[in-house]
Formats: sequence, C-alpha cells, structure tokens
Amino acid sequence: MSAVANGFAALDGIEILAVDGLLAVSALGLLLVDVAMPAGNKRVIGYGALLLLGLAFAATFTLDLTGTALSGAYVGDGFAIWCKRIFIGAGFFGVLGGLDSTARIGPRRQGEYYQLLLMSVLGMTLLAGARDLILLMVSFELMSLPLYAMAAWGGIGNYPEQKGPIPGMTMPSKRRWHRPAEAGLKLYLVGAVSTVVALYGISLVFGLGGSTRFAVLATTLTGGPLLTLAVAMIVAGFAFKIGAAPFHMWVPDTYEGASTPFVAFLSVAPKAAGFAALVQLLLGPLAGMAATWTTLVVVLIVVSLLVGNLMAVPQQNIKRMLGFSGVAQMGFGLMALLAAGSVTAHDVASRGVRPEGLATLLFFLAAYMVANMGAFFTVEAVAAAGYTPGKPADERDDDDTLPTFAGLHSRSPALALAGLLFVLSLGGIPFAVGFWAKVWVLLSLWAAGFGWLVVMAAALSAAGLFYYLQVARSMYMKAPVGADGTTLPAVKVGGGLLLAIVLLALLTMGVGLFPGPVMEAARIAAGL
Amino acid sequence: MTHDLLALLALLSPLVAAVVLFIIAPLRVRGAVSAALTIGATSVSLVASVLLAAARMFGATAPNVDLQLAWLPGGAQTLATVGVYVDPVAAPMMVVVALVALCVQVYSVGYLGHEPSRDRGRYFAYHALFAFSMLGLVMAPNLLQLFVCWELVGLASYLLIGYYWTKPSAGQAALKAFWVTKFADMGLMLGLMVLYVKTGGFDWNVPVGQALMTADAETIAGLFFLAVVGKSAQFPMHIWLPDAMEGPTPVSALLHAATMVAAGVYLIVRAYPIFMLAPTVLTVMVYLGAFTALFAAVVAVFQDDIKKVLAFSTCSQLGYMVAALGTGSMVSGYFHLTTHAFFKALLFLTAGSLIHAVHSNSLHDMGGLWAKMKPTGILLIIGSLALAGFPMTAGFFSKDLILEELLHAGHYLPLGAAILAAGLTAFYMTRVVMLSLFGAPSEAAEHAHESPAVMLAPMVLLAVLALAGGLLHGDFARMAGVEAAFHVTPVGVVATLVGFSGIGLGLWRFSPGRRTAIGTQWVSAPMRLLTWLTASKPVDVFFAGFYRQAMLRAAAGIAWFDRYIIDALINLSGWAVLRGAERFRELQTGQPTDYVYAVVGGLIVLTAMGVFTA
Repeated sequence: MSAVANGFAALDGIEILAVDGLLAVSALGLLLVDVAMPAGNKRVIGYGALLLLGLAFAATFTLDLTGTALSGAYVGDGFAIWCKRIFIGAGFFGVLGGLDSTARIGPRRQGEYYQLLLMSVLGMTLLAGARDLILLMVSFELMSLPLYAMAAWGGIGNYPEQKGPIPGMTMPSKRRWHRPAEAGLKLYLVGAVSTVVALYGISLVFGLGGSTRFAVLATTLTGGPLLTLAVAMIVAGFAFKIGAAPFHMWVPDTYEGASTPFVAFLSVAPKAAGFAALVQLLLGPLAGMAATWTTLVVVLIVVSLLVGNLMAVPQQNIKRMLGFSGVAQMGFGLMALLAAGSVTAHDVASRGVRPEGLATLLFFLAAYMVANMGAFFTVEAVAAAGYTPGKPADERDDDDTLPTFAGLHSRSPALALAGLLFVLSLGGIPFAVGFWAKVWVLLSLWAAGFGWLVVMAAALSAAGLFYYLQVARSMYMKAPVGADGTTLPAVKVGGGLLLAIVLLALLTMGVGLFPGPVMEAARIAAGL
Repeated sequence: MTHDLLALLALLSPLVAAVVLFIIAPLRVRGAVSAALTIGATSVSLVASVLLAAARMFGATAPNVDLQLAWLPGGAQTLATVGVYVDPVAAPMMVVVALVALCVQVYSVGYLGHEPSRDRGRYFAYHALFAFSMLGLVMAPNLLQLFVCWELVGLASYLLIGYYWTKPSAGQAALKAFWVTKFADMGLMLGLMVLYVKTGGFDWNVPVGQALMTADAETIAGLFFLAVVGKSAQFPMHIWLPDAMEGPTPVSALLHAATMVAAGVYLIVRAYPIFMLAPTVLTVMVYLGAFTALFAAVVAVFQDDIKKVLAFSTCSQLGYMVAALGTGSMVSGYFHLTTHAFFKALLFLTAGSLIHAVHSNSLHDMGGLWAKMKPTGILLIIGSLALAGFPMTAGFFSKDLILEELLHAGHYLPLGAAILAAGLTAFYMTRVVMLSLFGAPSEAAEHAHESPAVMLAPMVLLAVLALAGGLLHGDFARMAGVEAAFHVTPVGVVATLVGFSGIGLGLWRFSPGRRTAIGTQWVSAPMRLLTWLTASKPVDVFFAGFYRQAMLRAAAGIAWFDRYIIDALINLSGWAVLRGAERFRELQTGQPTDYVYAVVGGLIVLTAMGVFTA
C-alpha cells in the first residue's frame, strides 16, 4: 500500500500543471488532426490552435495554479502564472495575427507551424515554474528547438520556379526562400553555441552544489572561482535568448528574414522566457552570487543600450530597426532584473527601499509584448498589402522598408494611428503603456542605487526616440508616394491581423491610461 | 449600488456619445444623428443626476457615491485616482449642468437648423465632449481629476466659441479665450503641485493631523484663485468673455450660464476646506468680486450689442459669487451660481431668439418685437426680473443671501458696491427689455417672426426654474448645516428698493416716447469717457502691450537660445549617434562565424569581469 503511495508521490499537486497539460494535449492533438485531414488548405488548424490557446489563457485565470508539484521540481506562484499569461498571450496573438500570412506561405503545411508554436509555448510555460536544473534546461530546449524550425518555415512556400544552372532543370526562386533559411540557420547556429555555454555553466553548478534542486543548491553553493565561471556562462547563455548585446547578432538577421507574424512572437515570448529563466536562477540558487552577476548584468545593460540604440538609427528596414530597438529594450528588462537583485534586505530595512524590481520586470515584459507585437503586426499589414499587383510574385511582400510607410496616415488612418501608438509606447511616451514600464523600471533602479545607469538609460532612450519617431514621421508627414514616384495604395487589413492589431492597440492605450490595476497585479504577482 | 451605477451612467453616457461621434465620421457628418445621440446621452445624464440629487436634497441623506479607480500608482500609496464622487455638494451642480446643457442642445436644433448638416454634426459632437468634461469636473473625487476635466472643458469651449471657424473674428476670439484662460490655468497647476508637495495627495479635504500651515494654504488658495479669475472672468482677466460672444448664441448660454465660467466658482466651492485656511485670499476675493460686480455692471449699461450686455452681466454676477464665497459663506455663493445658471441661460436663449428673428445682435436693430414675438418677450421679461432680483424670483433669494453675508462679515464697502451693482443690473436689463421689445420697430424687426417650438420649450422650462428656483434656498442652507427659512432683513429691503428704482429709472429713460436717440449717444460726454475707461479697452491694450513687449521679447530670446544652443547640441548629438552607428555597423557582418566569435568573446569578457569582481 505504502509502496504504491510512494510511487505516486511525485504526482502530488500535479493539477497545477493543468495549463501545461492542456497545451501538450493540444499540440499532439493538432498533429493527429493534421495527419488525419485530407490534403488541402489546413487553415482550420490555425483556428483550433487559437481556440486552445484562448482556453489555456482563460484557464490561467480560472484555475488555481499555485502550489508545488513533481516533488518540488515545479512551483506554481504568482511569478510563474504571470509569465504563463505572457507566453500564452504572445502565442495567442502570434497565431491570430499570422493566420493569413501562414496560410499564404504554405497552405498545405500550416499544421506544422501551429504544432511547433504550441510546443514552444509549452516549453515556456513549463520553464516558468521550474525549480530544477534539468527541468529548466529541458523545457528551455523544448521552447528553443521549434523556434529554429519556425524561423526557416517561411522558406517552404510554393514559389514560382526559375531556370536552374543545368538546361532543363528548374528550382524555386531563390529570392524568396533563401532569407527564411538564413534566418533559421543563424538563429540555430548562435543558439546552439549559447545553449552549450549555458548547459556547461549549469553542469558546473550541479557539480559544485551536488543537486539539481534549487532548494538544495541555495544552501550548498558557497562561491569560488568555478562558480563565478558558471555564473558567467549562465548569464551569457541566457543573454543570447533575450538578445542582449553582445549576444544579439542573430537578432536583426533573423527578424529580417523570418515571416513577420512569427517574428512578432519570437521577439517577445522567448525573451520573456529567457528572463524567467534568469530570474529563477539568479534570484534563486545564485542569489548569493549577486555581487558577481549584477556586475555582469551591468555590462550587458550598457552594451545593449549603446549597441541597440545606436544601431537602430541607420536601419532602413523596419524589422531590422525593431530588432535593434529590441536589443535596447532588453537593456531595460535587465535593468529591472538588476534592481531586483541589488535591493538587499539591508536596503529595505535601513533605507526603506521597496524591492519592486521583480514587479517592474513583470510589468515591463507585458508592456513590451503588447507594443512590440503590435508594431510587427503593423509592419506585416503594410508589407503584405504594399506590393503592387503588377510585380512578379517572387518579389512580393519583401518590402519591409521605411518608405512603404510613407503617408500611411492618408492611406489608412486607423492603421497609422495604431502604428503610432505602438511606436510611442516602445519609445516610452506618455500615456502609452511603455511609458509606465520605463518610468517604473527607472524608478526602481534609482532606488536600488544605480543613479548613473538611470541617467544613461534615460539619455539613450531619448536618442531612441529618433528612430521610433522616424516611423511616425514617415506615416504622418510624408506624401504617400513610393520611391519610384507612384502613389502608394491604401492598406486593407482584415481578419485575424486586424483583430490582433485592434486588441493590442486597445491594450496599449487602455493600460497606458489606467496603469494602476495592472501595476498592482504585477506587484502581487511578484509577491510584494 | 444603484447610485454607483447612476453616477457612472451620468458621467459616461456623454463620453460614449462624444467618442462615437469623434471616431465614426459617417455619423458625425449627419447633423440629425449627431444631435439625437448627444441629446439622448445628455437626457440620460440629466435623469441620473436628478435621481442622485433627489436622494441627497430636500432632507434626504443618501450616502455619498464614491467610486475610485487607482490611476497613477506611486510608491507606497496611490498617487492619484479617477472616479465619480457624488455628495450633497456635487449633486445639485450635476443637475444644473445636465439641465442647462440639455436645454441648450434642444434649442440648438432649432437655432442652427439652417446650418449645413456637416457643421451641425461637429457642433453636437463638441457639445457631447463638453457635457462629459463638465460632469467629470463636477463629479471629480479629487482635485487632479478636476484639473484634467477643467482643461477638457477649456478645450471644448474653445472649440465651441470657434464654431464659425471661417469667420476670422471667431477664430481670434477662440484664441483669446484660450490664451487668457490658459495663462490662468497655470495657477491651478502650480497650486496642485504645492498641494501635492505639502500633503502628498490631491484631496481637498486635508487629512486631519497633517493640516496645512496657513502660509501654504494661502499659497495654494492664491494660485487656485488665479485660475478662478481667468476661468470665471473676474477683473482684469475678464477680457476674453465679451469676445467669446462670437460663438453661436446657444454656446454663449452654455458657457456663460451653467458651465465654463461656473467651473471657476465650483473650484472654490470644492476646494473650500483649503480656502477656509487662507483668510488673506478670502478677503481679496471679497474686494475683487465686489469690484468686478460693480465695474462690469457699469460697462454693461453702455453696450449696444445685446449679447455683450449679457456677457458683462455674467462678469458682474460672477463677481457676486466670488465675493460671497470670500465672506466664508460657501452656500450663498453656490446658491447664486445655481439660480444664475437658470436665468442667465434663459436670457441668452431669449436673446438668441431675438437675434434669430432680426439677424442682428444690435439693440438698434430690434424694437417693437413685443407685437411679433410675445412668448419670447414674456420669457425675456421673466429672465430680466430674475436677474434684477425682483421679489420672489430666484435671483431675489440668492442675491439677498449674498448681501446679508457681506453685511454679516462686516465688509461695508463691498456691500455698498454690490447694492449699487444691483441697481445698475435692474437698470440695464430694463434698458434691454425696453429697447428690444417696445417702441417703434426697426426695419429688420418688421419681418421678425416667433421662434419654433423646439426653441421655445427649453426656454419655458428655464423660465419656470428662474421663477421658482428660490424655493431651493432652504435646501442649500441645510447643506451648510443651518435650518434657515427665508426672512426679510433690512439690507434685503434696501437692495430691493434700489432694484426697483433701477427698474423705474430704466422705464422712464427708455419709455417709447422718450426714445429719440438710443445707444451710446444718450449719455453725456463725461459719461462716454468713463465708458471708454471702464470698458475692456484699456485692459485689452494693457494685455496686448504686455504680450508684445514682454512675452514676445522673452520668446524671441528663448528662440535664439533654442536655435543656437539647444539645436546645436542636438545636432551634435545626432551627428555623434550617426557616426557611432556607422562604426558599430561594421561589426554586424552577416557572417555566422563572426556571430559565434561574438558569443565567445562576450563570454570571455563576462568571465573576466566576474573573476575580477569576485
């Protein structure tokens, strides 16, 4: 009797993994449906994924997901639930905004895309509560591997064929497929190296601490040069995933090459997951090494702010610009992490500092997700409709450059307004949600004693307005005339993309006007 | 709970109408649709306001509605909240705002009936925005929301005054109104900053235990009062009000009766706990208010434009309110605000009806309209009697209360000015009535015809309130905690007699038989000099000079600094950013091997840093 009970002890509290279970069943179920369905346009799988992600999102609110499971390897707390909402929300919007684009690229093979996306989201949600090195790494890889495939997925489409090198041979038009392939390959190569680095760091931690459980490691890790090396490796490895400089090199190339709705997902969800992993390791078992890792994080912040803001300025391709701007945004996220790690119990007691860093990070990630996905979807809407019907198909919708936004205000006023809202939020202009995120991060960092970093970040943020407002300028102050002198057509947005843009714009504006309740929720989620 | 919903309904229904009309252009360009939406929304507000007020007046004591949403979180406590707050002070004002707004909107349907549909649509959209802003101001749970709505009210009035945007004078008038009130608004903003620094919040009820020092209260109340002087058109910042008559007449009724100018007085009423801590400011209010009351009444006597008479009359009456509030009697000023809203809205609407009939603002072009427009004539006379403080009309009760408070507080000089102004008020309103309704009809008046029912109905409603509004006096007294029935006082008798003599003098001077010359010619040369001096001209000249000499020169200096110092710095930083970007760009080679080198290089740097600091 007791043997049986012991055998199932690992399953105690398993109900807090209900959402993750739902996602796993969804991904596998959609795979079965895909196989069983007759060949043809499989758009319906996208709807299924949307519905299931919506259900999972609702479940994070209705179910009680707090507790401990898997013998302590998995913990459901406010932080984990908040992260799950970001991941599932990003997945939901990623599917919603990409329904048309995915169906256009590969109508027969869209099922794969949604299965991969659900798998990736599953990896993230598992990661959010992992309190065990192995679970953390496995779920991290479960998240990462589908992303490599999805980045290259844009290259599978049925493109017009062109003459091959040998007479009589045909091959797909190179112009269209080589960029997604490049995007996927670069993401994979740099990702593999970074994973190796992180994994090596984690194995060192295991070796030094003698356990994979965070609860044990927190007491057994004592410091020393090897642990310093391990911390550096872990920080470097996860910095790749969040795209912080100098581990950001893949960001612009991948963003430019992969399909835009996928980039909308890639630019927010895995980054939030990277932060979730960093928070769990650095504020958990490695909290004792805060003196070391905060130094490393400061380096990453400075380099990210400099490289991101400066490199974004000369970009003509909006996706590359948003990529570099994302690097700078990650600097802000790291600042929140730094604030969380720098406020000690002593500060709280002696200086009355509020340990708000973690709450600001959660709020920042949500704000960044909303505005950044919105911005990419706006790019998708403009680029997808921006081609002229006369152009050959293989030259279509490649144009993500700034001139395609010229005079968008007079062509599609509502879309231009939404786009303006998103760039203003990213630029941190009141009263968009991004403003509150930046202000809150800076305030908490100031309280943590990094005045110089606050000043530098504020100054570079101001410089960042240059490239954000360039988009606004193009939309509102330029005539709607293309580079070749032709009048640009109105942009018609419909279906899921429209719905996604509207919802994200409402969130950006609504939370921007009334940040209070969401900030309070973030504070509660952070355990304050 | 029901009351919470009612309060939200009252505030949000005009907002919904405004948002729908501003966003959905096809609805906005149809005048009828826009009017129906706005009037429907305001009716909802009115019904909700009446229900809320009824439960808080006439002896009923429903608990306050207090719904607040954390808006700006800040450190340990919430920095600011937004919401709805209905207490016995806010409830009557909500009714006044919603009622006058509704009357004016219905009236506008007739008054602007000949305007293009597109313009009418725009007009009613502004009205919806106005109603929302004003109700938001009245129902504000703290002074920060009040400030936000205050600015929205300013914006909506600016849009409404400039409704005839093709007319340059309308554009200029709107700009002037904006410029003057903006200048004054700085007072409110600075006052709020001081209030926040001193108390850590935007509450008008200063928490017990951290009472404001008197000096701080004086500063805050003084800054707030600056805003009131601008918004409620007190001397010397009244200059925008006569010009604001460029807007359509119903707009004048709305702005100068119930709402925009009343916002200033309402600010004092709301922030009264703070004003009560500032005796100096209160004294200044008494004297400035009484002076404005007398000064504006004198100027009103000499105006030939019927709307300008009413505009200066509004300045004068607001002076009464400010003076009353300065005596420390919140109720008397607030009560006059309410009654004045009814009869001044009525007067503007009747004036609009006359203007509509003769297509001119000038009293010269009217005359003999009694025969053509008897209903409007009766309504004009009712409004004039109420404004003149004729016994048993609404104005009688409220003005009497103010005079009594002035006497009670021992401000004899302001009391004398106020009584004199009461006589002048009776005189100039009699003048308006006699010149417009009686005597030989002018050429334009020959073809005059009565306004349609859609314009008359709101006027009749307001006339009833102008006559019967005095019945509320006991209720306002209860608000102050005194169970006071009305009683005859010596000062009331004196004021009434002065009022009668003003009416009598007007009847004699402007009786149809004596009307050989009207307009400014009827006064002697010394009087005309006095007119010029007291009319807004010298003040206008002063402000224009101040603007040109001081502000434009300062602006030129700032512009120079901006161009040659700030711009240079910005251009320098822009150049540095671009150069830096070019350098960094070379790192982004596109070669995956270089990317892997970057990862490894970064790792080495991080490790070195870690070892170095460990």
